Amino acid sequence: MASDAAEHIVKSFEGDLKRLSALLTEMGGLVESEVAAACQSVLSRDTEAATLAVETDPKVDALERDVEQFVIRLLALRQPVAQDLRVIVASLKITGDLERIGDYAANVAKRSLVLNQFSLPFSLTGLSNMSRLVQENLKTVIDAVGEGDAGKAVEVWRSDENIDEIYNALFRELITYMMEDPRNITPCTHLLFIAKNLERIGDHATNVAETVYYAAKGEPLTGSRPKGDTSAYALVRSPRDD
Amino acid sequence: MDNSMGDTRKPLDGKAEIGPITARSNEAMGTSRIAIRDLDFFYGANKALKSITLGIPEKQVTGMIGPSGCGKSTLLRVLNRMYDLYSGQRAIGEVLMDGKNIIASDVDVNQLRSRIGMVFQKPTPFPMSIYDNVAFGVKLHERLSKSDMDERVEWSLTRAALWDEVKDRLGASAAGISGGQQQRLCIARTIATRPDVILLDEPTSALDPISTLKIEELIDELKHEFTIVIVTHNMQQAARCADQVAFFFIGELIEVGAAAQMFTSPRQKRTQEYITGRFG
Repeated sequence: MASDAAEHIVKSFEGDLKRLSALLTEMGGLVESEVAAACQSVLSRDTEAATLAVETDPKVDALERDVEQFVIRLLALRQPVAQDLRVIVASLKITGDLERIGDYAANVAKRSLVLNQFSLPFSLTGLSNMSRLVQENLKTVIDAVGEGDAGKAVEVWRSDENIDEIYNALFRELITYMMEDPRNITPCTHLLFIAKNLERIGDHATNVAETVYYAAKGEPLTGSRPKGDTSAYALVRSPRDD
Repeated sequence: MDNSMGDTRKPLDGKAEIGPITARSNEAMGTSRIAIRDLDFFYGANKALKSITLGIPEKQVTGMIGPSGCGKSTLLRVLNRMYDLYSGQRAIGEVLMDGKNIIASDVDVNQLRSRIGMVFQKPTPFPMSIYDNVAFGVKLHERLSKSDMDERVEWSLTRAALWDEVKDRLGASAAGISGGQQQRLCIARTIATRPDVILLDEPTSALDPISTLKIEELIDELKHEFTIVIVTHNMQQAARCADQVAFFFIGELIEVGAAAQMFTSPRQKRTQEYITGRFG
């Protein structure tokens, strides 16, 4: 996490903060490529991309442990305050969110391997749009982490609603396909989980956005974020019910 | 204050308590015991404090931080008129306590100092017994019977968390106890006159970490009965001890706020840079 403050008098502390920022940037980049590979594995039926995503995840997990240990060390040895404290604690939270994003991506990739064994009688346009939005948000929020940019954080925080809307539409669409033909149930169930994973990735990206904002501004990002996932209440009636 | 003990002091002034004041940003900190308003201080022609307005909340700990020469110790010296001892030093403005401007020339300085006690950086026990160290200041202001004085000495030493360690050797020389104990003895001596306000000028800078923690624990206890102002160069100490923290820089009060806010989200850039070690 970058800070706009002047250099620290103790150069080794400045070095520690830069190292922490570099670790997060590396982790962010890795997670971004993992999510990209996972999306490609579904949308392009690309088994290699799926393998890449699954293989990237342990590296993300290892980086999370590195960040955690480094943060504990910094808290113990540097006793940071003010913006230093906020940035260091924010790093700990962000690394947790990024690790979860990695897990969801790996799960998407694993499901794609099953999904690719089915021929799909419908297009994946909705999922494609959703994956594009999720990746855009992820990229922006990871940039916001690197630059300590509260403005970009707010941008991501606001645009998560669009992802939720596509997810709700997809949910209904996939249920409809299942009702049309029971042979669609297996691939559609996997697609539902894939869509849900992408939606969760979007949520974790907004968590990261909130954390970046607090670290930069020293106050929480307030106001109610539009919560758009209404699939918990969705009811799609079979034509036979009418 | 313990009302069971006869109070022979005269109040500084019979006027009613002053209300909360509006200082830069500490108006929400509760009733001010001391209200500093537009205070300037001069060492000869050198202006060391510039228009300071600050409330010292009652029965809370106010920490003053800032780089050397920022004016924090000067402000402490103003609060009990220490500067009176030197010619060429003068204060202009208001330092209100019980409605009375304590920097006015008609204030009885000795009486003021019995109400606003001060503890210094290095322990300064008098070359006399532990008992007499505590009784000395009381004798200047009050006439107590032997049993009342015994009670007062025990009361003071107990509150200074020293009684158990010295109760069996009250007649021994104060020079023979450890540095940390000496500093607690100085605190006992200060509270023996039952002041309203205790000023602590870097009270632990000459002490080891454990003695430091004992003083900090003591400060936490004492604030239930006294209003405390502490000047410290140790930022972590200010964070640990103080309820409100005031940051000074080159004679100006830059920012004052609750300690938690000052050390997590200071509002002023200069505060942020100073407390994170980026000054200069």
